[in-house]
Amino acid sequence: MFVNLAVQLVVLWALWTAVFAESGKELVGEWDLTGILSYGVMVFLTGRVVRGGDLQMAVASEIYDGSLSRYLLYPLNYGVTKYAQQLGNVFPNILQSIVMAACILPFMGSSSSVDLHVTGLLMCMPSLILAHLLFYIMGLLPQLVAFWADNVWSLSVLMRFITMLLGGATIPLSLFPEWSQGALAILPFRYLFEFPTLVILGKVSVNDWLTGLLTCAVWCVVMSLLVIPVWRRGNLRYTGVGI
Amino acid sequence: MIKVQNLRKVFRVHKKPPGLSASLKSLFRRDWIEKVAVEGADFTVEEGEIVGLIGANGAGKTTLVKMLSGIIHPSAGEARVLGYNPWEKHDAFRRQISLIMGQKAQLWWDLPGADCFQLLREIYQIPQQQFDHQLNRLTQLLNVGEELNIQIRRLSLGERMKMELIAALLHSPRVVYLDEPTIGLDITTQKAVRDFLLSYRKEESPAMILTSHYMEDIERLCERIIIIREGELIYDGSLRKVIEQYAPYKRLTLHLQNQTLDESSKEIFSKMGEKVQIQSDQVSIQVPRKNVTEVAAELLRKFKIHDLSIDEPEISDTIEILMGGKDLRQE
Repeated sequence: MFVNLAVQLVVLWALWTAVFAESGKELVGEWDLTGILSYGVMVFLTGRVVRGGDLQMAVASEIYDGSLSRYLLYPLNYGVTKYAQQLGNVFPNILQSIVMAACILPFMGSSSSVDLHVTGLLMCMPSLILAHLLFYIMGLLPQLVAFWADNVWSLSVLMRFITMLLGGATIPLSLFPEWSQGALAILPFRYLFEFPTLVILGKVSVNDWLTGLLTCAVWCVVMSLLVIPVWRRGNLRYTGVGI
Repeated sequence: MIKVQNLRKVFRVHKKPPGLSASLKSLFRRDWIEKVAVEGADFTVEEGEIVGLIGANGAGKTTLVKMLSGIIHPSAGEARVLGYNPWEKHDAFRRQISLIMGQKAQLWWDLPGADCFQLLREIYQIPQQQFDHQLNRLTQLLNVGEELNIQIRRLSLGERMKMELIAALLHSPRVVYLDEPTIGLDITTQKAVRDFLLSYRKEESPAMILTSHYMEDIERLCERIIIIREGELIYDGSLRKVIEQYAPYKRLTLHLQNQTLDESSKEIFSKMGEKVQIQSDQVSIQVPRKNVTEVAAELLRKFKIHDLSIDEPEISDTIEILMGGKDLRQE
């Protein structure tokens, strides 16, 4: 993980210093160089928390190899059980992210475009909790296609790529073209990575923060309403491997 | 406790010939076949009863068990287990059933048995006192007290199966499905598992459905069997009756008194029955059931016999005949 972050930092630094040097401007969009590098570091760290304990292909694998059967026998809700497992796995990521943030951020220098503050950290927590839940529910959808399709790996990877790109895990969404901003604000992706990161960096007002939390919660409900019928329909097709 | 009416399950299976061109073709047009796994199953199982479900591979035994445990949905028909529709998966229903699959580990491999059982205690909400008592009793019965703190993945197959049995019975289920619980186990462990199941039945009286390819499991544990062939239930009744009713022959074994068998003697045996086996002074003949008395009398007349015994055929032989194609529904 430390190596990942180091590589990420080097790439970000090389890319953005070149962009700033080429443009000859102090600001790109609303970001100065230190600010955009801070964004890069923070989105990497919050991303690790949001994706923490990532199920990856766990659900699809259980459908394919029949391990799902045991969960169908237990008197418990499969979705909640899997989320509990994911929560159990997220804590090492949280600890690592805190340690790395403490190591790196003091050396990032000052920026006019970001304001790291305790208030931002406190406001970020509910944003991260909701983002973690939304990421989990959204991740279930492509995996449940395993009830119908023989291989959902590529679909899952495609979903992951779209989520990262439109969620602001590579660059802030404010740098995307003007025409796309309306759609990006409505879609659920930005609440996964960009929103919690901007909250930490002190770039979200209290009103926008509350609106963001509410929107994220609504997306959690909407995604759950999509997942539940897919799960039920999929269950009708489940064979538990073999005859 | 278990009531099944006209239960049917049809799987729709994609069929693809070998080769690259067939693979490419199947991307655009797929050929499907319908495979009937269970066809119109009707039966009931009462409390304390162990019913053996027998059939060849792919006959539909496991599918039937999966339907009755609620894992898969039927294509048609009804089933009530403890008054519940299994595939509606009510928690109250799932708290009272258990499924042990000999071919599929259900415990968490990275955890020791003791931790797995604690997890199951939480899942089934078993009161601590009841849990301690039941765990203690089951570990003693299966003699695995010392293995409780060892990671499941590091246990032998037999020890793992014993752990699976404990895990499945911790919550004292009223209905237990056992899908080949002794598969791959050595003879000693098979016997231990069978003895354990018998003592568990005696104490808890659950309804049990057992599938197994080992006839000894069936003979030792089940008084009643259901034979399933290509999805259809072709026999439902007592294990003994299946032989009396459907074995078409008995086996006569004679020990001859210091007598050398010449070709003419062998010819006589061949006329009297089938599958003649001669080993020094011992002769064994398979004789049609209705001719047994007549053949025995004739043998006693023609040969000097030291001992003669008439035996029922092996249960496994009879069941093999039934599974192989004899149609009982017309009899």
